[in-house]
Amino acid sequence: MFKLMELEWRKLKQKMVMGEIIIYAGILMFMPIFFIKMVSADFGQSYATIIQLILAIQMGWVLFGASLINQVVIDEYKNKTFSLSFGYPISRKKLIIAKVLFISLVVFLCTLVSFLLSGIVTYLLDHLFYIINGQPTVADITSFASKMIIHSFFITLISFIPLFFFGIWKRATIPTVICAMFLMQFQNFSSLLNINLNSDLVNAGLCLLGAVSVFLSIKMVDRVGDV
Amino acid sequence: MDYVVQTNGLTKKVKDKVLVSNVNLHIKKGEIYGFLGQNGAGKTTIMKMLTGLIHPSSGEIALFGERLTENKKSGLKRVGSIIEYPLFYEHLTARENLQLHCEYLGFYDQKAITQALDMVHLKGIEGKKVKDFSLGMKQRLGIGRAIITKPELIVLDEPTNGLDPIGIKDMRDLIRMLNKEYGMTFLLSSHILGEMEQVVDRIGVIRDGQLVNEVTLADIRKQQTEYIEIVTSNVEKSVYLLEYELRISNMKIVEDNRIRIYDLTLSPSEISKALILHQIDIEEIQKHTSTLEDYFYQIIHGGEQHV
Repeated sequence: MFKLMELEWRKLKQKMVMGEIIIYAGILMFMPIFFIKMVSADFGQSYATIIQLILAIQMGWVLFGASLINQVVIDEYKNKTFSLSFGYPISRKKLIIAKVLFISLVVFLCTLVSFLLSGIVTYLLDHLFYIINGQPTVADITSFASKMIIHSFFITLISFIPLFFFGIWKRATIPTVICAMFLMQFQNFSSLLNINLNSDLVNAGLCLLGAVSVFLSIKMVDRVGDV
Repeated sequence: MDYVVQTNGLTKKVKDKVLVSNVNLHIKKGEIYGFLGQNGAGKTTIMKMLTGLIHPSSGEIALFGERLTENKKSGLKRVGSIIEYPLFYEHLTARENLQLHCEYLGFYDQKAITQALDMVHLKGIEGKKVKDFSLGMKQRLGIGRAIITKPELIVLDEPTNGLDPIGIKDMRDLIRMLNKEYGMTFLLSSHILGEMEQVVDRIGVIRDGQLVNEVTLADIRKQQTEYIEIVTSNVEKSVYLLEYELRISNMKIVEDNRIRIYDLTLSPSEISKALILHQIDIEEIQKHTSTLEDYFYQIIHGGEQHV
């Protein structure tokens, strides 16, 4: 399976993907300070509030997940290169599992590193320019570390929501991206509409949808997978 | 009999449309088998099923004696193919594409890549990205990829598409060489008979999704017949005369004004003399030898064959 995942990487336009990762990470790591300075100083009340802000900002990786779905799944259908893989002595289920695991690994690692970079950059800038009230406590750092791992996992699962319907079934690039944009802004939309949703419940619900999408993609690839 | 490919009742339906119906195919080890049929007859669909690209609606496929199913595709390890047109990861180089192919098949031999590129005359440009290749070059590269692991069966759908005349000849020579030297079995498809005639041992004629005939070229050549063809405006009177006056029984009306006589006991001059004596207009009378093309034309268009 690891070999199949490696081959997925080799089939990609690697420079483009690396460029995308650098741009995402570069933008997202400065976003917390940008929000405090340009949108609302309330975000800088304490390190506890800035951690919440970082969690919301890192949802941007859902969009990167959609970009990977486009390149790893939809483009292969559109360019018919999927038919090359179907001609190998490897079942379609195994091929799609390799794609899912590859996307999972990349999104998870990128999100994790991006969390870390955001935390470090925010701390360093605060250290230089005194933007956030107070200093980070041990509890803040522990909370950040655990949330960094848990939310990276959540974001990875959420990024799979468009996989089955828009990726495997409809094979549509733009709806996949729009779906991802909606998902990453979902919590903001609900607060704009004055709907109070428990963010943990929302995340759990979205993760469940992502897991269902992955399950259906693997289960149905034989039926909807002809090229 | 040692069959490389065997199908039993192979059928493919899409919604209510039957693309391939009840095909029972038998391809022997070491032969070059050709699918002949019009565009849309179902040749590519059968090939797609044989190479695991699409699933049959019903029926069975056996490759090298083992049943091919979605969960049991090991037979495909011994198959190389190009279906419809050669597909590549266009942003990668020719060599990178071939390396990917080999790794998917668990085949690790850098020399084989170089050898395959050499065989299809692409050595020296393997570092070029496939997006910069012409259609003919892609076709060559596709063939190179199909043969790289020296598979026992090679399935090539319209292999000469996009090739120039020299490329077509090279392709024929390559197929013959691989068949002879490596004992590779080939399944080819084409709608051009002349192309098939020069390379295949046996032909399967596909019409409306059905395999209507399987025949060796040697048998067809034995069956080639001579006939006299008469073009006249008075077909009924002519047939009556030929049958009852001249005692000719083996003949056929092929068009409204055309009669073919397969019984050659009388010469064209004797027949024309008899017709003229009975005041039947003759527009044309000529002795023909039926060609391979005639044979397949009749099968493909559902005509009968008088032999």
